[in-house]
Amino acid sequence: MDSPLLYSAPSGLVQIARADDKSAPRELIPSRPLEAGEQYRFHFDMTKCIGCKCCVVACNEQNGNPADLNWRRVGEVEGGYYPLTQRHYLSMGCNHCIEPSCLIGCPVEAYTKDPATGVVVHSAEACIGCQYCTWNCSYGVPQYNPARGVVGKCDMCHNRLSDNMAPACVNACPEGAIAIEIVNIADWRRDYLSANAPGLPSADDSISTTRVTLPENLVPDLGRVDTNRVEPEHPHWPLVFMLVVTQLCVGAFIALWLLDAVGAGTDLKIAALASLALAGMSLGASTMHLGRPIHAWRAMRGLRRSWLSREVLTLSMFAGAAGVFAGLLFFGSPGFFAPGSSVPRLAAGLATALAGLAGITCSARIYIVRARPAWFSSYTVAEFFSTALLLGPAFVHMLDPRVPSAVLYASVAGGAAQLIAQAGKFLWLSQSEVFELRSSSLLLAGKLRALFVTRLAILVAAGIVIPMAATAPLLVSAAFAAAFAGELLGRYLFFVSVVPKNIAAGFSSARRAA
Amino acid sequence: MYENESRMKTMNWKRLIGLDNLAEDYKFARSESTGYTSAQKIPDRWVGTTCGYCSVGCGIEIGVKDGRAVSSRPLASHPVNRGKLCPKGLSEHYTIGAENRAKYPLLRKNGKLERVTWQEALTTMVERFRKTQSTYGPASLGVISTGQLVTEEFYTLGKLVQLGFGTNNYDGNTTLCMATAVSGYKLSFGSDGPPGNYEDMERADVVMLIGANLADNHPILCQYLEANRNKTLIVADPRVTKTAMMADLHLPLKPRSDLALINGIAHILIHFNLIDRDYIEKHTTGFAELEKFLEGYTPERVSQITGLSQEVIFKTAFLYGRAKAAFVGWTMGVNHSTIGTATVNAICNLALLTGQIGRAGAAPFSITGQCNAMGTREVGFTSGMPGYRKFDDPADRAEFAGLLGIEESSLPAKRGLAYPDIIEAAVAKKIRALWIIGTNPLVSWPNQGVLRHALSNLDFLVVQDGYHPTPTTELADLVLPAGIWGEKEGTYTNSERRVSKVNKAVEPPGEARTDFDIFLGIAEQLGCRDSLFPGWTGPEDAFNEWRRVSRGRLCDYSGISYDLLAREGAVQWPLTEGEVPKQASRLYSDGIFKTADGKAKLICADWAPFPEQAGNGYPFVLNTGRTVEHWHTRTKTREVPILERLSPRAWLEMNPRDAKRLGLRSHEAVDVVSRRGAVRGIELRLTEITAPGQVFMPFHFHETNVNEVTQSAFDPISREPNYKQCAVRVERSGVHA
Repeated sequence: MDSPLLYSAPSGLVQIARADDKSAPRELIPSRPLEAGEQYRFHFDMTKCIGCKCCVVACNEQNGNPADLNWRRVGEVEGGYYPLTQRHYLSMGCNHCIEPSCLIGCPVEAYTKDPATGVVVHSAEACIGCQYCTWNCSYGVPQYNPARGVVGKCDMCHNRLSDNMAPACVNACPEGAIAIEIVNIADWRRDYLSANAPGLPSADDSISTTRVTLPENLVPDLGRVDTNRVEPEHPHWPLVFMLVVTQLCVGAFIALWLLDAVGAGTDLKIAALASLALAGMSLGASTMHLGRPIHAWRAMRGLRRSWLSREVLTLSMFAGAAGVFAGLLFFGSPGFFAPGSSVPRLAAGLATALAGLAGITCSARIYIVRARPAWFSSYTVAEFFSTALLLGPAFVHMLDPRVPSAVLYASVAGGAAQLIAQAGKFLWLSQSEVFELRSSSLLLAGKLRALFVTRLAILVAAGIVIPMAATAPLLVSAAFAAAFAGELLGRYLFFVSVVPKNIAAGFSSARRAA
Repeated sequence: MYENESRMKTMNWKRLIGLDNLAEDYKFARSESTGYTSAQKIPDRWVGTTCGYCSVGCGIEIGVKDGRAVSSRPLASHPVNRGKLCPKGLSEHYTIGAENRAKYPLLRKNGKLERVTWQEALTTMVERFRKTQSTYGPASLGVISTGQLVTEEFYTLGKLVQLGFGTNNYDGNTTLCMATAVSGYKLSFGSDGPPGNYEDMERADVVMLIGANLADNHPILCQYLEANRNKTLIVADPRVTKTAMMADLHLPLKPRSDLALINGIAHILIHFNLIDRDYIEKHTTGFAELEKFLEGYTPERVSQITGLSQEVIFKTAFLYGRAKAAFVGWTMGVNHSTIGTATVNAICNLALLTGQIGRAGAAPFSITGQCNAMGTREVGFTSGMPGYRKFDDPADRAEFAGLLGIEESSLPAKRGLAYPDIIEAAVAKKIRALWIIGTNPLVSWPNQGVLRHALSNLDFLVVQDGYHPTPTTELADLVLPAGIWGEKEGTYTNSERRVSKVNKAVEPPGEARTDFDIFLGIAEQLGCRDSLFPGWTGPEDAFNEWRRVSRGRLCDYSGISYDLLAREGAVQWPLTEGEVPKQASRLYSDGIFKTADGKAKLICADWAPFPEQAGNGYPFVLNTGRTVEHWHTRTKTREVPILERLSPRAWLEMNPRDAKRLGLRSHEAVDVVSRRGAVRGIELRLTEITAPGQVFMPFHFHETNVNEVTQSAFDPISREPNYKQCAVRVERSGVHA
């Protein structure tokens, strides 16, 4: 053929610069091997992208993904005034960060940063479907596949790259807007400014390696178009239940231990056994959150890095110590101690309390992630501990009304602390200029308003007013039940009202606003 | 397909506890033809063909595995798409295996569509049509076809309708699309046929796009613009489309003021002597009249009509006038109008005045819509006879009759009713039976109320389609299930006159038959198979007759054979037998046009305001258009999960300043109301893409069909509807329920 248009064989999948193109030949994948200290990265040229979404379709086909999972997505940013309007597109896969937050959080070490290429690779085999990575990534890159029970994400088609073939998205782009480049990691750490673009979360969170070429003369108000469509997040019911109940149990066991220690306890057995049963149930139930519950045990693997692993460890230790403590309360000390000695019991109680406090701390730390700004605050710690203080003593008090009134006051103090935490958090959210924080407050004041008001009302009534006023057992029980339900509702709101960081979305490429 | 299967597997206990994570479905593999990819997408074989959506005409390969289409990829060797496809092409295999493919003939009995045999279906169809025709006259049968069949099927259908059924009330949905370009070319150049080719976009130094949003509608053509580093791109569009944003100079003119702009440019070109007087002298007629006529299009007046500053109008005119090679491309912004044909003539005037035609980079060029709209324009027997022959030209009639070996008197004396007039005739009960092939007017026809009235008047409605139910098949008395793209053989001709082979990858589902087969089956039933299609067994027989019929015509296919296409890939017409295909062919390079005197006509094309201006309770001008993810009435693309995911519903674009005045917010559900109807509950998108006073809505979605509000106003020459402007009001949904 005498065509000046040359395309490479055999697969026709790698674009070679066209012979008659006056611009420099466009290299879409690197032509030399990586050297030490280098990794691959995406380059996205916003000046070329026309928003056709070929990359999205090609990615889904390459990876055999169902339509509702998109490892590559195209967002829109818009600004200016007619007719000087600007709309640009952001095509994003994984940014193969230098400090990948998905990897750092993963409890089962399903993520690896390939030492040769720098590609952040996820193993569907190792994954247990805890979805913690989906909360950790500021770009919404890892996506949970409910059909599989595991997460998946863009791997830069590194298996194609190693065959010297372009990734599916690169290959599909009619405009040559996506390319693979080589980046020197140390240089990029020093200056990664071009990883930022309108509509993208800050690269500070994890040092994204994707380089974005921006058009010149961008209008200052260029921004995301999806700001008016903020949807409540997934509630994660098993976690709502697990968190509130474990916090209740930690609070209850600390109360029991203190009562035992000061000898103010009457009969603590029932409360201890009930708390233990609840703790066991909630930990068991929490595996229902996993895509692959059978592999829950693997969650210990990531202790070095993952707060989720640490939570599993500390809460397991708590359950174990609580079992011993409850056993000692129930059966008395075994024979090799001096009969009736309370030392082992108090030691077991102390261990239970410490493990429990550590457990709540780890739980809270899980949620303190940059990618979810409304969680990324000490309000999360305050909320979790307040739940423990509110519900634990109240539970003990309900099961044994003869306990000293200090227990009741502790619970009321927990209720008051929770009220302050909730009010403070809402104020903080609503005063914020940050899109995600402000949107969280708008959700609470908008779509979730009735639930949020109910939650606060229950807290005041069942957590503070009724316990101070009522003594009738039925009323005490009802107040506890209501306070417990209130905390569940509060935790539900905690989950659904968070607005995660993400890349700007398209206007209609998601659920319809209600 | 695969997704459903995956979901079904999710329900077993192994999956629930996490022992099974469907690793088998998601495994990867390497193959020589695909590289490393999802194993389920690696086919047993690739079938090279041409994309069945738009008329860019991309080469595509369908991956077939176990008799099913599992993947699509660009045909690397194809000259048009250069190894790329748009998102629709990349997912085109999903259209084949869709659940709602029409699989069996269905006949309405006691009000319900029931499965019948092909024999009963075709016997009933022919009996009912014949009965209607014998009662109300042969012209009481109307036929509306499409731009989606292969050329061979169009040629066969044309003969079947005009010579077999003997009705000339036959038109295609191409009248909703490219009829205006056809009419304009015919008037200016004496014949249809886009003069340039895609390469011209790469070789022009000025590219002017008028009412053409290539980035959404023909994204693959953007490659040609992207490759042309030295061009100045001018885009005239009232909306700041993706394409407008690519422009060096965007002309945000008022809706439907393009004709005034073009006349204004011509005025300036003449005034500043930026015209090619030698070319005008040798190759055109009508200059003196045009020069006088254009005196009225002063920059002051044009500025007033278009809303553009005089400075911008001058700048545009000088850019065009001083270009070494200037390309003007247009699509529906021009065609969908009551003054569309006039606008095409004005565009042709520009090219003729400056001699910007028939050279590399220089062309007035209509960028066509459907994959084979060009094929039906050339071989179709609707607004003319095959080979651009005119019904009223005695020489054409004699030649064509001779080629077919039939009496000249059996050829229709004149063109029958155009699409809008068939609908009007059904309203008037003059058309009593209708056969709709491969089109979905219940979504695409403007002012749906009139259409519903028309169809309810019919005695018998046959709908032949690849899918059922569609809004149109649901109304049919008889549904004929047709094989679609990927299931049949033939050729498509694209916008740049390039003929590309279409090949069969898989069998049609159920008892569905290719349209070609169905046409021959009907001819058999009608008793005209042997006389009209003697010895025909496959589409190649039709193609070979067409080659003979087209010989010596402008659209000469005689040198194009299936063998040649297999050997050389896609080639452009004209190609006379014995000639070697050119790399890039252009019409009128010799300056000789298909008029009686061989000269092109300069036409005085006067601007007029569009028919329904905003005001009187309908303050917005509604514009309609497309989105890159969907194709036409979405019959196919709604079956493609990834396209539905990317573009799940329609929206209404409104400028935030208007919304503020109306107290409307983004994402709110609104109603769009015109004098004719309403679209309820559409999602509002506030954006500076759309000018204050205008709103925009995509037309693909039957659930929120913009054609409930568009109007019955048509170009007097091409009969194309004025989809692009009508007056509406917008109100919050539920307020005036």
